[in-house]
Amino acid sequence: MFPWNYGFHWSAASYIFLGAFYTVLLVVAATVISAVLRSRRDLRAHETEEIRWHSDFHDLPARDRVCRHVLAGEFARRECPNAFDCRLCETHARLIAAHPPEQPDEPEEEIFGMSFPLDRLYHRGHAWARPEADGTVTVGLDELGGRLVGAPDAVDLPQPGAVVHANGTAFHIHKREADVRVLSPVDGEVVETGGTGRGWYLKVKPLNGQMDMRHLLCGAEIKPWLMREMERLQLALSAEGAAPTLADGGVPVADIAQSYPEADWDAVCGEMFLEP
Amino acid sequence: MDKQYIARGVKRCSTARFLLWIAPWLALLAFGLYSAGLCLVKGLNQTNMDNRFAFGLWIFLDLTVIALGAGAFFTGFLLYILKLKELSAVINSAVVIGLVCYSGAIAVLAVDVGQPLRFWFTFWYPNVHSMLTEVTFCISCYLTVLAIEYLPILLRNRKLRQVPSFLVFEHELHKLVYVLAGVGTFLSFFHQGSLGGLYGVLRGRPFAFREGFLVWPSTFFLFIISAAAVGPSFILLTTWLVEKISRKRLVRPEVLQLLGRISGLLLAVYVLAKTVDTLIWINRTSPDAGFPAAQYYAWKPFGTWILFAEIVLFGMIPALVMLTPRLRRRTGWLVSAAAMACLGVALNRFVLTVQTLALPTLAFDKFLSYWPSWQETGTFLAVVAYGVLVYSVSFRYLQLFPEERELKAEVQQEQEELRVMAGRY
Repeated sequence: MFPWNYGFHWSAASYIFLGAFYTVLLVVAATVISAVLRSRRDLRAHETEEIRWHSDFHDLPARDRVCRHVLAGEFARRECPNAFDCRLCETHARLIAAHPPEQPDEPEEEIFGMSFPLDRLYHRGHAWARPEADGTVTVGLDELGGRLVGAPDAVDLPQPGAVVHANGTAFHIHKREADVRVLSPVDGEVVETGGTGRGWYLKVKPLNGQMDMRHLLCGAEIKPWLMREMERLQLALSAEGAAPTLADGGVPVADIAQSYPEADWDAVCGEMFLEP
Repeated sequence: MDKQYIARGVKRCSTARFLLWIAPWLALLAFGLYSAGLCLVKGLNQTNMDNRFAFGLWIFLDLTVIALGAGAFFTGFLLYILKLKELSAVINSAVVIGLVCYSGAIAVLAVDVGQPLRFWFTFWYPNVHSMLTEVTFCISCYLTVLAIEYLPILLRNRKLRQVPSFLVFEHELHKLVYVLAGVGTFLSFFHQGSLGGLYGVLRGRPFAFREGFLVWPSTFFLFIISAAAVGPSFILLTTWLVEKISRKRLVRPEVLQLLGRISGLLLAVYVLAKTVDTLIWINRTSPDAGFPAAQYYAWKPFGTWILFAEIVLFGMIPALVMLTPRLRRRTGWLVSAAAMACLGVALNRFVLTVQTLALPTLAFDKFLSYWPSWQETGTFLAVVAYGVLVYSVSFRYLQLFPEERELKAEVQQEQEELRVMAGRY
């Protein structure tokens, strides 16, 4: 059958069998080698964070991947095709051009007893970004995110000089058994970190002088998003066997984790901070 | 203790309970490995096979698990090539089942062939006159493909994906998985066929010998269709079993129904082809060889009931159940039909392996009976235990059912609503 076998002679059957066999081996080997080479390229280009987010986004339940324009009522059903990076989305650009977001009259939105100042933009992973006068952007955890982790056991902030990417990891929070990463709302270089209690922040300097924040929620979008987030929280809590508490119109307590000592807080935080 | 290795948001039993579950399977595996070791060290005299009855329990097992493991290639083909997206809910489980089935089959084949230190002879000095050569090449290649397909599932483990190079490699390999699905389909297609062809070309065994198309006897095609038909049924059956054992909803009922519909459709095609093939064999092939077909069924216990069971009871009936939408929607009917389809393919492989060799073909020949030795049975059980262990560990630490977390929330909500309706609140 093979040229090195005693009595081997070439025939049509030899050509067909050997051709098919070696083609299969070549295809399998080429596939694996190609994956290894592409991986090496990605690692060198520091695309790990982007890949991690795309992988996480793919694993999110369909109800969590909805487009921001569904939250605003502009679509009945639409899944975000850009992993929450609206900077790449033509539909978003078209809709924003047609209906620019309304600017609310109040400087602050009070939703379910939580304060959402409107001087900043919000990421769907519960981080906010506030442009500062010096050209930097301050990044922090929003009120609901803060109440989810309450008084955290530990926070791992990046070192100044580190580069963060939008939808990449901004910092890590440890609370009980939960160990979650908070997604960065912006791209840039960390120039300062600080804060105590709930006030941790990063100051981020844009990498190329200008910060594109079209993918972040602002103004009138925040209320419908928060209402959806409260639904998600109730669902996440009920999935952990914890009875929902907001049916009577109450507000989330300052440290939600403390109110549910039996719940798998890692799962609840994973759900809310978009880390499945 | 091992929570950090378990996917976020899914519930698994405690480590102690898990160890308790795997302990008996580990004991069975140890007993099986001892049995297989005896066969490898002392030779096939440890078995009840001989020169006349050269195929027994092991080849029956090989043929059956390879047919049942076909769910891996066929589900991959339907998902990645034909784009039936619903099947993404079971593809990981199908890959693990395929890997277990094929690696188990190769392990048993290695014990059967013996001389493990010369395993490479089969690749270097292949017997050009044996269909088993093609089978060996194809299943070795396909096992490699399955192992590569298993890698992304393994690397998605919560702890492993924290390693950047694992995360990136898993991502890139997953993007190319459709190539592997295509290769797997090509390989499976041929080795399933060659396994069937192996019996069809046995001119000296008129019970198995079949006419065919060019060089391929009809059994070549029947094996391909039957494997493609029961593969989805086996995925359906195992998914249901895992749901029952773990007491969790792992996939939506619609996915199981889709698997049932695909299985039913292909099973109907198989039953039709098998019926035509049997009629040609009864009326032409066998009489031409000098054997009226009725005489094969005169040797008890191999009566005509086997033919009835194979074609009607475990073929036509499950096909009809799975093709009837009303019955398909009832889990009991659907799962029973899938189990019957799997039993049907096992019976078919048993008939071709054991009945073929048991029947006399020459005037001085006798009807032979065969019963496996404990060493053969032990080796057989080792494969079962190995399969349960690999699947159990995979189910615990890997995301075999991506919708599990989402379904958990839905089940909790349903239960909550039921409690409210029951007036507890």
